[in-house]
Amino acid sequence: MAREAALALPAARRAWALPRDAGWYALLLPAFLLMTLLYVAPILQVLAISVTEPAPGIGNYERLFTNPGVQRVIGTTLRICVTTTAVALLLGYALSYVIALASPRAQRWWLLGVLVPLWISVLVRAFAWVTLLRRQGLVNQGLDALGLIEEPLRLVWNEFGIVVGMVHYMVPYAVLPMLAAMKEIDPRLLAAARGMGASRLTVFRRVFLPLSLPGLIAAGVLVFIFSLGFYITPAILGGGKTLMAAEWIKLQILDLVRWGLGAMLATVLVVAILVTLAVFSRVVDLRRLFGGGR
Amino acid sequence: MTGGYRAGPLARGIAWATVIYLVLPITIVVPVSMTDRRYLSLPYETLSLRHYANLLGSEAWLGAIWQSLWIAIASTAIAVVAGTLCAIGCWRLARRSTEWVRALMLLPLIIPSIVYAVGLYRWFGTLDLLDRFLGVTLAHGVTGIPYVVITVSTALAAFDPRLEQAARGMGASLGQTLRWVILPRIAPGIASGAIFAFIHSWDELVLVLFIASRNVFTLPRKIWDGINENLDPTMAAVAVLLIVFTVLLLLLDGALRARRDP
Amino acid sequence: MTALPRPEAMAPAGSAAHALELRGLSKRYGSFTAVDAVSLRVERGQFLTLLGPSGSGKTTILMAIAGFVAPSAGAVLLDGADITALPPERRDFGMVFQGYALFPHMTVAENVAFPLRVRRLGQAAREAKVRAALDLVQLSAFAERRPSQLSGGQQQRVALARALVFEPDLLLLDEPLSALDKKLRAELQEELKALHRRIGRTFVNVTHDQEEALSLSDQVAILNHGKLVQMGAPEALYERPRTRFVADFLGKSNFLRGTVREVRPDMMALQAGGTRLLQAVQGAHPAPGTPALLSLRPEKIALLAGEEAADNAVAGRIEAWAYLGAGYALTVATDDLGPLRVALPAWRAPIAPREGLPVRLGWSAEAAVPVLEDADGA
Ligand SMILES: Nc1ncnc2c1ncn2[C@@H]1O[C@H](COP(=O)(O)OP(=O)(O)OP(=O)(O)O)[C@@H](O)[C@H]1O
Ligand SMILES: [Mg+2]
Repeated sequence: MAREAALALPAARRAWALPRDAGWYALLLPAFLLMTLLYVAPILQVLAISVTEPAPGIGNYERLFTNPGVQRVIGTTLRICVTTTAVALLLGYALSYVIALASPRAQRWWLLGVLVPLWISVLVRAFAWVTLLRRQGLVNQGLDALGLIEEPLRLVWNEFGIVVGMVHYMVPYAVLPMLAAMKEIDPRLLAAARGMGASRLTVFRRVFLPLSLPGLIAAGVLVFIFSLGFYITPAILGGGKTLMAAEWIKLQILDLVRWGLGAMLATVLVVAILVTLAVFSRVVDLRRLFGGGR
Repeated sequence: MTGGYRAGPLARGIAWATVIYLVLPITIVVPVSMTDRRYLSLPYETLSLRHYANLLGSEAWLGAIWQSLWIAIASTAIAVVAGTLCAIGCWRLARRSTEWVRALMLLPLIIPSIVYAVGLYRWFGTLDLLDRFLGVTLAHGVTGIPYVVITVSTALAAFDPRLEQAARGMGASLGQTLRWVILPRIAPGIASGAIFAFIHSWDELVLVLFIASRNVFTLPRKIWDGINENLDPTMAAVAVLLIVFTVLLLLLDGALRARRDP
Repeated sequence: MTALPRPEAMAPAGSAAHALELRGLSKRYGSFTAVDAVSLRVERGQFLTLLGPSGSGKTTILMAIAGFVAPSAGAVLLDGADITALPPERRDFGMVFQGYALFPHMTVAENVAFPLRVRRLGQAAREAKVRAALDLVQLSAFAERRPSQLSGGQQQRVALARALVFEPDLLLLDEPLSALDKKLRAELQEELKALHRRIGRTFVNVTHDQEEALSLSDQVAILNHGKLVQMGAPEALYERPRTRFVADFLGKSNFLRGTVREVRPDMMALQAGGTRLLQAVQGAHPAPGTPALLSLRPEKIALLAGEEAADNAVAGRIEAWAYLGAGYALTVATDDLGPLRVALPAWRAPIAPREGLPVRLGWSAEAAVPVLEDADGA
């Protein structure tokens, strides 16, 4: 029973034998090299700069405790991030709750309203908020035309403006993990609780809220860490008066050429974010969040 | 989740207000872009398209759009090739070590771009990649990898691993298995990843602020300068074009998804 | 189990080359042993079936043969050459997967052409071979359909055509018929058997359906808990099961327990309560006084009329009965041997069964076989 020659596998391929799975590991290589050489290495360099410039040592980190400027920036950043997170969670929770309980048809429309803003350019959105909120902006013009205000309100180029813009950016990120968690709650459970005589509020407090809590925590972590290093929106809507961490770092490096100080705060940002993630790693699954949401 | 249970009036009120808050500022730029005035405002007497004419007649804007487009296309290619291969490798090997590789690929989503921009500014300085097309493309490509890894991994989760075994068992080499069996099956996932990597590069500003100055001048950079220097309705016209473009890409993604899971 | 000879000792000595051999194949997942030192040999052109209950390691063995599972110990040999480390794509085996694994994005013809495309066969030759393979499984009319547009039986035949089209020397089949309904399964069993005869390749088939194993195979290897319990031709396994597990798993059986009283060169006598049993012996002779276990197939028990004599005879009452068309299945309660299952042909049955009816059962000294108790009580 001699096999026809044409049906044998190409001979060259039989010859070389690499270890099992070597080919699959080779597939990882391009991404791995790109990521380590062009992403991880520059970031490690930032960490290195923070302890070597201007002089080797932890001098830059001492500024965290001695320099009021640095402390003010950190204070502002934390304040804005906490406010943003709280507001985004509140709005996002109500939105997810309504979406989760809506009919499938209605769900699609609601989701469109959440996902389209998510993918619109941050710059475009910041621009839109400037158009609306500045002194001669559409909001002030409208209020003025209605005779509701004497003086234009100061809505932008301050912390208020930053929070408005940041919450706008963060609400979709808050909705995605919460919605994913809420979609897994069995609606019959809620109907059954209502049927047993519980009020709407009781059903929410005793059944829905505890079940959606993991999603709420995940959303909170996500929004908070995204807010910490946010650059564009605070820079545009803060008008250079309210400095958050990212803009302060840019200022140190591009304008004042104080590499050590800038790198120090950058390091603090990364450490803060990684620590937050590590603490909550069990409830936050980034991959699922991004994979399932869009 | 559907059933007889509906949200109460308070929740519905907040939800509606939130959606209006999300969508309104984006829609408001449409009338503003058609104002008949020379400054940012709603149209007074008639609708005018002259700001669009302005935009499309401007060398500077068109040049920026052109540059952004090329960078986005090239960096998407990098992200798609590297990200897809990596996702497939991780999926097939499924070891603890590959879990770490996958986590590594997600880093750019987690670490603020300002930190990366600072590092890259130095790094590219030594590599002589500052203010060069290649530099920006590489930076955008690397940071676009996570989007591709996520969408392709999601597509692979629904892929029957026995098909890969069947192909290998019939004598297909790894390359043939990839080309004829795996890639055709996960093409919609790759396309989704490509769309998101493209949008990522197309919108990216923070890195560009640090690693590009005169030679490479992308659209976001131009908009940034516009917002900081002269707020005029041409900006609104740009914004509208960008919004339309993004929505078209998302619709394309939606169509691909609909084909994938009918 | 310890009394079992090593299976390779049972293979004919000095057989020709071109055969598949497993030597001490083991696969461990952590501390769990899925396959435990399995050694066996399949001669060229034979149809071997791996038979065993779910989880007994059949798929794992097949995957190790195909190269998808790396054995923890032992070797896979083809024509005497060790191929344990050879990756699957270089083994040149045809394989039909559990669930078929047809490529959903290709048509039937493209699926079947796949192994040829991989081998860079020219267009014309490829088309001819695909046509021939589809003819073989009688699916030529469906060449342009997608797998999702085919019935289960048709899909199975596509998988078969795809595995055969590149004329592999060895075809591996993992429960190829399990997803089909009974009638279709019977039909495809016929086809598979005819196909095997026609093309004369070596087939290794996995199933947990004992009828399929008996009707298709030249050799059956019975597995339990990852171990090879017994291997042999279907008739040999059915007629001379070595252990209680084999007798029970392959067909139905009654088990009679007794103590050896007397041993002669070709015969022994057992005592089971008040009943004396006469039993033929071959090979090893048990010592008097030791316990013994006999396996007795229901169809080898006859109803004795009146005072008719037999080597073994026992009285009892019908406890339950069922009419099965071709015959009756009786359960007869006896004092010394417990309930015995009896298969009675319906055509000219000597009695009309009814519950409580007293009957006398008889069987010859050659009807039953001594079997070993399984070590792990399976
Ligand atoms: N990757 C694995 N990791 C751990 N255990 C495994 C793995 N694969 C198989 N097993 C175990 O090995 C044993 C044998 O599995 P195998 O698939 O070979 O059984 P099988 O005889 O084919 O059963 P079935 O008839 O149900 O297909 C099972 O107990 C199974 O749980
Ligand atoms: Mg199996």
